[in-house]
Amino acid sequence: MSDQEEKYDRGSALSIFGSDRKEDFIALILALAVALYVYVSN
Amino acid sequence: MVYTQKSSALFIIGLAMLAIWYTADAGLLSGYIEHLGGEKYKYLPELITIPIYFGILSVVIGAWQWFGSHKEGHWDYYSSTVAGAMFILFIAMLVRWFVAPEVAVISTGMGEVGDTGKHLHKLLGLNYVVLGILAGIIVVNFFKVPEWAANGVRLSRLGLKTGVILLGTLYSAAELKNLGGLSIVMIGFFVLGSVGMVLWLGSRMKIPNSMGGVLSAGMGVCGVSATVASAPVVQAKSVEIAYTIGTILLWGVGCMFVFPIIGNLLGMSYVQFGAWAGTGILNSAQVAGAALAYQPDGIETLKVAEIFNITRVLVLPIIVLWLAVWYVRREENVTHQVNVGTVIFEKFPVFVIGFILMFALSTTGIFAPPNHYKGKFFGNTAETGFKDEKLLKGDQIATLQSESGSVQRADRKEALQRLIDNGKVMTIEDDDTLRGLANAKVMSKDANKILKGAHKAVRHTAKKVKAFRKWITWLFAFGLVGLGMQITVSSMRQAGGQPAVIGGIVGFIKAALSLVVVMMLISETI
Repeated sequence: MSDQEEKYDRGSALSIFGSDRKEDFIALILALAVALYVYVSN
Repeated sequence: MVYTQKSSALFIIGLAMLAIWYTADAGLLSGYIEHLGGEKYKYLPELITIPIYFGILSVVIGAWQWFGSHKEGHWDYYSSTVAGAMFILFIAMLVRWFVAPEVAVISTGMGEVGDTGKHLHKLLGLNYVVLGILAGIIVVNFFKVPEWAANGVRLSRLGLKTGVILLGTLYSAAELKNLGGLSIVMIGFFVLGSVGMVLWLGSRMKIPNSMGGVLSAGMGVCGVSATVASAPVVQAKSVEIAYTIGTILLWGVGCMFVFPIIGNLLGMSYVQFGAWAGTGILNSAQVAGAALAYQPDGIETLKVAEIFNITRVLVLPIIVLWLAVWYVRREENVTHQVNVGTVIFEKFPVFVIGFILMFALSTTGIFAPPNHYKGKFFGNTAETGFKDEKLLKGDQIATLQSESGSVQRADRKEALQRLIDNGKVMTIEDDDTLRGLANAKVMSKDANKILKGAHKAVRHTAKKVKAFRKWITWLFAFGLVGLGMQITVSSMRQAGGQPAVIGGIVGFIKAALSLVVVMMLISETI
């Protein structure tokens, strides 16, 4: 992984986000958006 | 740094998706679909819907990436991920719709393996999940991830986390109560046991305390997040974190492929396998991979496994506290004091709270009827969705009658008798009892099949729940193919010597012991 880490000046080799916390919040927002879509469209 | 590559790749992927949609929609694939199973081929509805949406999206953004001019900035950074995300999705589509069914056809043609009664693809779990991860591993290790896709591959963990949060919508309070109690006991025992064993082995093998501390959290709790959360309290160096993550990857990847094979050989029920995977496998993504590999066309196993996995994450604060006290006692030269509370607050995975939030939303009944259970509601009258042609036939009743003597438990005997008398399941309680009977495998395969048919006839999935299942399946498929693309030989080599040995010993004992406990304690569905 270390060889890949230098490839990005933002995020890490495993994520485009700067921190796990930020990735978690984005996942939460996405999940809420999907839930809203499912709720409205079904 | 400009991330968007001026490449035609995304545009071409979009055209390929549209070609799949067109050929399927126009019936040009009917011959091939016949070869893949004909009426049994269940992906046709997906083939004529999903590729058109993502195909159009890919063609539009692909044309812009190919012909547009790109400047450094947020838009460039985030939009550049689309190419990699579509690359992963395209691989997942090909594997799910064509490669996995083709493997099944070839394997079925080869006949059953020995006296196992199973075909090779079932035994090895060669379904779209395993083949998707393998495809990812092959791409990254043999061909390398193309430059234009590199940024998007880093979205795979986001897909898995979103999938886990959405999974919260599919549990009922009763399920969580039953599974929660069991998982707290098992996880409590195995997490504390593994952490203690790594620390003990570490001191016997004289590895540094910081290395032992961080490895114990990784092996005991939930892989990478626990490693990162515990690193500051034991003052672990970057190389020790890398060793730990390498060890978890090495062990977890092996488990992801081996667990489903053992589960198939032992004929484990979905609940048994889910509980075992959620306890014995280290990393959240690998737990999901193994659970979906075991049951690719349903999510019962995944649901059980994730409850165990989430219970494990909830133990994280206790482990961080334990390690903090342990480390301070053993190290005379602790260079700086770490605020344990701050570490827990900063590193605790928010997606677990998201899962709980979704579960809370689902218990209000907004996604499914209030009496839903396992995403389905009960109905055995015409008004509640029951069809008369689903009543048991005379030969089916005779089969159940002839085998009813093998059923020992009084509640199961009574529920079975009511089914025989009425030709359909009469109450939701009877349905649960009979499901338990089918999963316990007390009666013959034919009888269990009849029980499953009777169960399906009275369970109706709410439309919203069906939609959630689809979203979750695709988010996990996406995340797991991407996960495969992050499993490189070089990252696994980072496991190093002693950490890999300790990890291997503890991982093996944990997997073997949890298997024994699961087989002893769990005999049926919950």
